[in-house]
Amino acid sequence: MFVHLQGPWNPVWGRLSLQAIPYQNPILVGTFLFAMIAALAIVGAVFYFRAGPYLWREWFTTVDHKKIGVMYCLLGLVMLFRGFIDALMIRSQQAMAVGPHSPGYLGALHGYLTPFHIGQVYTAHGLIMVVFAATPLLVGIMNIVVPLQIGARDMAYPYLNALGFWLTAAAAALVMLSLFVGNFAHGGWYGFLPYFELPYSPGVGVDYWMWAFQLSAIGTTMGSINLIATIVKMRAPGMTWMRMPIFTWASLSTNLIALTSFPVLMVSLALLGLDRYFGTHFYTAGQGGNLMLYNDLFWVWGHPEVYFLILPAFGMMSEIIPTFSEKTLFGYATMVVASFAIGGVSWGVWLHHFFTMAAEPSVNSFYSVTTMLVGIPTGVKVFNWIFTMYRGRVRFELPMLWALLALFLLLVGGMTGMMNAFAASDYMWHNGVFVVAHFHMMVLLIASSIFGAVEYWFPKVFGFKLEQRWGKWFFWFMVLGTAWVFVPMFILGFAGMTRRLDYVPVTQWAPYLRVMLVGMAFYVVALGFFVAHLYVSLRDRMKNRVGADPWGTTRNLEWMTHSPVPAYNFAFIPRVHARDEWAWRKEHGMANLGNESFEDIHMPRNTGVPVLLGALSFALCFALVWRIWWLAAACLGLVVLVIILRSFARKTDEVIPATTVAGVERAAQDALASPARG
Amino acid sequence: MTHSAENPLHHPEVHQASLSGYVANFLITVLVMTAALWLARDNSLPAGSLVGWTSLLALVAVLVQAYLLLHMNWSKAQIWHTVAMILFVPLFVVMIGLTMWMFHGLYQRTAIAMPHQTMAAPMHPAPAASAAAHTVKAA
Amino acid sequence: MSASTNTRMQPGSTVLWEKGDAAGHDALGTRTFGFWLYMLTDAMVYAALFAAFGVLAHNAGLTSKSMLASVFDAQAAYRDTIVLFASVLAYGYAMVALKKGSRTGVAIGIIVATILGVIFLNMVTGDLEHLFSQGVVPQLNGFLSIVFTLVIYHALHIVVGVLWMLVMLMQMGRDGFTSNVVYRLINLRIFWHFQAVIWVFLFVFVYLQGKVI
Ligand code: HEM
Ligand SMILES: [Cu+2]
Repeated sequence: MFVHLQGPWNPVWGRLSLQAIPYQNPILVGTFLFAMIAALAIVGAVFYFRAGPYLWREWFTTVDHKKIGVMYCLLGLVMLFRGFIDALMIRSQQAMAVGPHSPGYLGALHGYLTPFHIGQVYTAHGLIMVVFAATPLLVGIMNIVVPLQIGARDMAYPYLNALGFWLTAAAAALVMLSLFVGNFAHGGWYGFLPYFELPYSPGVGVDYWMWAFQLSAIGTTMGSINLIATIVKMRAPGMTWMRMPIFTWASLSTNLIALTSFPVLMVSLALLGLDRYFGTHFYTAGQGGNLMLYNDLFWVWGHPEVYFLILPAFGMMSEIIPTFSEKTLFGYATMVVASFAIGGVSWGVWLHHFFTMAAEPSVNSFYSVTTMLVGIPTGVKVFNWIFTMYRGRVRFELPMLWALLALFLLLVGGMTGMMNAFAASDYMWHNGVFVVAHFHMMVLLIASSIFGAVEYWFPKVFGFKLEQRWGKWFFWFMVLGTAWVFVPMFILGFAGMTRRLDYVPVTQWAPYLRVMLVGMAFYVVALGFFVAHLYVSLRDRMKNRVGADPWGTTRNLEWMTHSPVPAYNFAFIPRVHARDEWAWRKEHGMANLGNESFEDIHMPRNTGVPVLLGALSFALCFALVWRIWWLAAACLGLVVLVIILRSFARKTDEVIPATTVAGVERAAQDALASPARG
Repeated sequence: MTHSAENPLHHPEVHQASLSGYVANFLITVLVMTAALWLARDNSLPAGSLVGWTSLLALVAVLVQAYLLLHMNWSKAQIWHTVAMILFVPLFVVMIGLTMWMFHGLYQRTAIAMPHQTMAAPMHPAPAASAAAHTVKAA
Repeated sequence: MSASTNTRMQPGSTVLWEKGDAAGHDALGTRTFGFWLYMLTDAMVYAALFAAFGVLAHNAGLTSKSMLASVFDAQAAYRDTIVLFASVLAYGYAMVALKKGSRTGVAIGIIVATILGVIFLNMVTGDLEHLFSQGVVPQLNGFLSIVFTLVIYHALHIVVGVLWMLVMLMQMGRDGFTSNVVYRLINLRIFWHFQAVIWVFLFVFVYLQGKVI
């Protein structure tokens, strides 16, 4: 049934053998040591502080949307760090390996990374940043904020929420594991066909890539079902559609994109899997396969995906800018319509990622035009933000700085996107670094919004504000790094440099590549400031404690409960009277949280099943990567069994008694010695 | 979920079930599929009209099923189900339609041999570069 | 509609917080809605597979005519159709019995639906085995790859459905019509009935039209 493999295989270990451990590679050995030391330090700390039971009880088995959101964000940050290291390696390799006389080290002809190695690095960088850094961070923030903004006590399906997280974490772990056991794909993050077919990529790299991608897609789809159902079904009384906070709208539109598009990604990857495991001919060159079919299906997902990433970022900007302009958002309704217009249009533009396929001119023209249409709703949003600030009292606190950086990057990225949208000009620079610079503007915009959102909502989740001094240094060095890396990249793009080079043949490009390396140095410094920012904030946390409304000028429901938010979110579900309910209550002198005579609250009970399913899926994918059939079958059977057994569980809820609620509420009010401005 | 006080059997979604609806659905769809089979019985219809007519019959069957089986309607209990489906259907059309359009032109322009004309094509076409690794064990 | 214009109320008389169970959500409706969303993502999977079918059908000519005729056996597929539709009808009967709260009615409906589902699976696997034994396998060419993928993917759903029905019989026997059991029965109805919808596409676009495109 399965295809014959070229290399060795045995029934017990599959393709796994000691040769899979890359101990000859000094870089990987160093990484391994670093990872081991870090892991030992963490495990040691857990044992030293006897934190194991606490972590298991309060975090791993949690179904609380806020804690799951925090775990998503931590996962995203860790993977962001990994992706950043990858970026450092790419940039330094390209700065070194310029021209025929550039020296080579560590077995590389030029620079210090062999083509095979740097191929893995940029493939991992792309996949990690899109799927394991940006997505978890955004999903995490939506997870935390959306139920609060709509006045709900939890998500519609808390258990599914935890499961989605653990599947994503398992997928991320799979990518990390590929560093030390086997290798990773080396043909680019979105896959190349027929190069990714078994005959041309016989190793396990593509399989790691494929299964990690697939698993994360399943996790994200679950998350999107959950958020949509939460928003549609769980809004507080009085919260009509047009009273919904704008970030919730953004989350709805973005999750609709995920819901509709991720299945197509799953198909595109699954068909590749069938080719690689069963020897079918979906994407083969010859025998009736069609390699462009892969690109087609992949980008049917791929373009909506980029809007899946950017719409929540837009939502974050739409929350931050009004708060720090001390005004209501300009053009709420148009903002909503624009979000959905962007979502809709994003479904009809995917061919712009392969204009060069040789489709008919009418086809290319059609996709050019649809691509450019995206500019209209995006422009509407830009103007709305500008008019929100216009005549507002703009306060340049950290969240606002990040939002403004995002706005600026959106202009650059959007304009260059429009340039890509012309099929004729795209022919010139497709697969070149101009395109890379374009989408990095977009992705950095997303990163900026995320940093802004973290600054903005952090006090809500943890009860204290992050300090501002180191944070500002961090911000400005990120600005510097971005400018120094990507301005030269645009120039090189025009000069004709193609992407993913392990060796740069044109000596004249060296200065630009070195300038970019300087930019990377700024980023490294920024990373240092980020660590300082976190450290100082944590150190001074008692000084920076805040009440329900730390910024004083916030407008939505999430600020109508204590910081940090109690497990049940709201002691009583709020009734909503207006858009910007909190601002409305403050305006009408009704901004008190004081409630007496509390009631019992029903909450879902913690469960270890999602962790178990995550672990089993991880083992399943690992077995599939190495073709250890017995293990794969066992894991699959166990997954089915666990799901069925869990469905027989009776006690999945618990009650928080009114006395406990009263205690928590009173403690929060006592701690709230000095409510912030407003 | 377990703590809702009302009797779940009183929920409107339980009460959508209708025997006459399900029986009607069965009869109509079986009839329509029979008609489709009859159209395709002996390849007497030209390909174009066979595709056209059977597709039309499929559409009829699916619409009947959507209404009678999946209860797509505007009642309070079902409205968001219906809205969600209405959101998806255009995307199905867009994806399949645009893909077909793109590849139709592509096949012509890249002049990949159209094996339609050579119906006696060999069962195992010329081995591609992949042949070695793709040999299939007896299935 | 600015923030403050839509309602003007006195601070004293405005209800700010819901007391009691006033904010109770429609738990059952929330469950089925989420499941329906999942069902639609599955529909999207089928849509993507059909798009692939459309693309790869261009190379259908790689398969010999006689082979195509044995793959697209319309009579056999018609027989499958009737069995599947009958199973769906039986499940529908179970849902009508659920309305009346009749456990035996629900059980009978589900058991009949299960048996018909198993018969369907038996017929489909029989056909597949027959084809495979004649050397008509998905690995021959791209067109056959997608045809078999579509058929097998649908059959896998039937396997899941049959398993699920068995589980529901057990849970119903143990717990009666608790809200957990009832929402799962409804979700299973969505799932099972949905398979009939997908089958219409398979029957018409693959089995009937497969020969001529
Ligand atoms: C104004 C809206 C936008 C337009 C008109 C646009 C246009 C384009 C075009 C035509 C390409 C293909 C270029 C080529 O490969 O030759 C492209 C690539 C890309 N865009 Fe955009 N884009 C827009 C917004 C975005 C956003 C919001 C994101 C991300 C959040 C994004 C991320 C990407 C990525 C990741 C790629 C390249 C993927 C790859 O090849 O690896 N774009 N864009
Ligand atoms: Cu795009």
